[in-house]
Amino acid sequence: MRIVHYVNQFYAGLGGEAEAGIGPRVLEGTVGPGRLLSQLVGEEHEIVATLVCGDDYAASHTAVGEELVGMARAAGAELLVAGPAFGSGRYGLVCARLVAAAEAVGLPAVASMHPDNPGISEAGAAPVVAAGASSRQMRPTLQAVAGAIAKLATGAKLTVADGRVARVARVGQLVDQRAAARAVELVLRRLAGDREGTEIPVGGFDVVSPSAPVDKVASATVALVTEGALVPAGNPDRLESARATRWLRYPIEGVDSLASGVWESVDGGFATTAANADPNRIVPLDTVRRLEREGVIGRLYNELLVTVGNGTQVASARRFGVEWAAELRKAGVQAAILTAT
Amino acid sequence: MSVLRRVVHEVRTIEIGTATRYQQHRLVVGRAQAQALFADPALASVRVHVAAPGDRTRIVAPLDVVEPRSKGPGGGAFPGWIAPVNRPRGGDTHVLRGAAVLAAGYLPRNQEGLIDMSGPAAERSPFGRTNNVVIEFDRAEGACWQDAEVALRRGLLRLAVHLADAAVDASPDVIEELAPPHRPGTSTGGLPRVGAITNLQTQGAFKDVFVYGRSMAGSLPTLFDPVEIEDGAVVSGQYGHPALRNPTYIHQNHPVVAELCARDGQDLCFAGVVLCPEPVEQAHKELVSTHAAWLCRAAGFDAAIVTKEGAGNADNDLMLKVDALEADGLTAVALYAELSGADGTGPPLVAGPRRGAVVSTGNYDQRIGLPAVERALGGARLDIADAEATAAVEVPTAAILGALSPLGAGWLTCRSEQQRLAG
Repeated sequence: MRIVHYVNQFYAGLGGEAEAGIGPRVLEGTVGPGRLLSQLVGEEHEIVATLVCGDDYAASHTAVGEELVGMARAAGAELLVAGPAFGSGRYGLVCARLVAAAEAVGLPAVASMHPDNPGISEAGAAPVVAAGASSRQMRPTLQAVAGAIAKLATGAKLTVADGRVARVARVGQLVDQRAAARAVELVLRRLAGDREGTEIPVGGFDVVSPSAPVDKVASATVALVTEGALVPAGNPDRLESARATRWLRYPIEGVDSLASGVWESVDGGFATTAANADPNRIVPLDTVRRLEREGVIGRLYNELLVTVGNGTQVASARRFGVEWAAELRKAGVQAAILTAT
Repeated sequence: MSVLRRVVHEVRTIEIGTATRYQQHRLVVGRAQAQALFADPALASVRVHVAAPGDRTRIVAPLDVVEPRSKGPGGGAFPGWIAPVNRPRGGDTHVLRGAAVLAAGYLPRNQEGLIDMSGPAAERSPFGRTNNVVIEFDRAEGACWQDAEVALRRGLLRLAVHLADAAVDASPDVIEELAPPHRPGTSTGGLPRVGAITNLQTQGAFKDVFVYGRSMAGSLPTLFDPVEIEDGAVVSGQYGHPALRNPTYIHQNHPVVAELCARDGQDLCFAGVVLCPEPVEQAHKELVSTHAAWLCRAAGFDAAIVTKEGAGNADNDLMLKVDALEADGLTAVALYAELSGADGTGPPLVAGPRRGAVVSTGNYDQRIGLPAVERALGGARLDIADAEATAAVEVPTAAILGALSPLGAGWLTCRSEQQRLAG
């Protein structure tokens, strides 16, 4: 089978974060982890080309998936393999989108990443093979990917036995006992020694370590981003007031202050009267412009990134975070002020 | 501690008539009498309707729901609103079980929801199974919405008492005696002491719950007399997430207290109820959680079932309390509605306890198809579905009033199902 392999700029050996903005390109044959993968899949299958794109570029251009699929087809792909992306958010997001785009046009594809990678939900129905948390697990991960390739070559679908990450759905159902009665049952079971019993698994929350302070704020580019749903009055792009599925960007170049009546918050999770009377209290543009004039910060980034945090799914919020980070890195932003409501 | 007897009259049919009366499970609502109870400068008019289980009726934009209860001619129900607080506690409370009174219609900051009296939404809401008196209303010209909301609430409470008054002389179907909570330090014969921690939303206008007529915002957690909750000391003025609301009716019939009392003396000893505010500042949340855990220990609890109202902010309060209780050596179980997306594959929790256990009250996002109905009350359109109010619609479970009841009044849960992978 003719395989086209996708890797990011780092695994292609083109560079680290400094090169994360490079656009899509095709390299002949195997590159980076593709060399080991090529050995593992044996002589029946051949990696004919490697696609590469910078993480920031790919994560901030949602149409890049279709473009890369077109490039894979042009290179004669019968199967597209993306990753392994391990725990890397931007890389995982791109691998997931790529295999989803391939599946959508009938090109068989498989991605590999850690099951907790924030991008994984973007793969949709396309298969994802579990990777370790980091590249230290490169060999066992590629062994699993090679096994998956061999199976896909037979025309069979991947299952959990092949290392495929199962999509576990929490399905609602009516039961005879109401929730309060089940809570009493559960408390009694726990008191009797069952410390593991629960209807919803607990724990597993991320602990985010803050980055180091910005070295030279006076020369840094700073961005304003918010989950307070601050949009132009009238909400022309129809941002949701709760349960956001997307985020928006608005130019703020040359704007010194967010005027009441020109901007408004459409957040459904708090009373917006005070926010709409002075939108600078949701996004402190007036203050940051003053700091910019006084030279306290180098420059304010010229776009405001906006979503609504009210009730937004954890999976969506993690994806927005990955996309915002890619966007801001690409623009050379060193710090962001995220205002929450 | 005071003792209360529920004198229960079961309502099986409901209709509108010229004078209110109750006879042999049949409740007649006197139209003019009911309307007169809503006389207030902030309301121009009200219309009285009834909707019974099995009707092909949809109630759009339901507001608060109250169970008809009366303490007899001397009054005493809903202290702080329509009765003094310094009156004798306990005694007899007449309950029209199977009936409910509710308001429906536009109110600012009311998140639009619905009740269907038949079909899948009726199976999911505690109020699809009750005989409902539904009040539609028009605000008086120039009146502010806050005044209209207070007028509606007072009217609903008066109507609830008025209807139950009609049953005071009827012979009851059943009499239920509520034993007071076990006092700390007394022997339980080895049974664990289990209590309830009930978080009340406290976020200002249209997002507040009242205890004796006052918001709990700013208060510390307090040990509370369950008998007073039965008699309407806790009244809702909270109009967020319809499925995640605790209407007054649910407080009057506090499901966790009821289930604890049902097993009192057999598997556990009912230890009491702690009411807590849900503050909006993190430091205040931590204070309330820490204090609640201390109070539970001081009151001799071995374990507590913790509930919330609302989502987001409220989730944090819930989980901080579970952690505070478990850190203090108590056993904690929380009730929580999952937020795992329409397909159920997203993370179910947005805030998590480090330990403890969580009971699921369903998935907020799971969509459900509802058939068309013949009649709509409360409004002509269902904005969340952008449809005529009587149309067949698909809505998230979140829209069905009380379907995900944070106090545990609902019958939904979620189970993990590995999606079938082909091959």
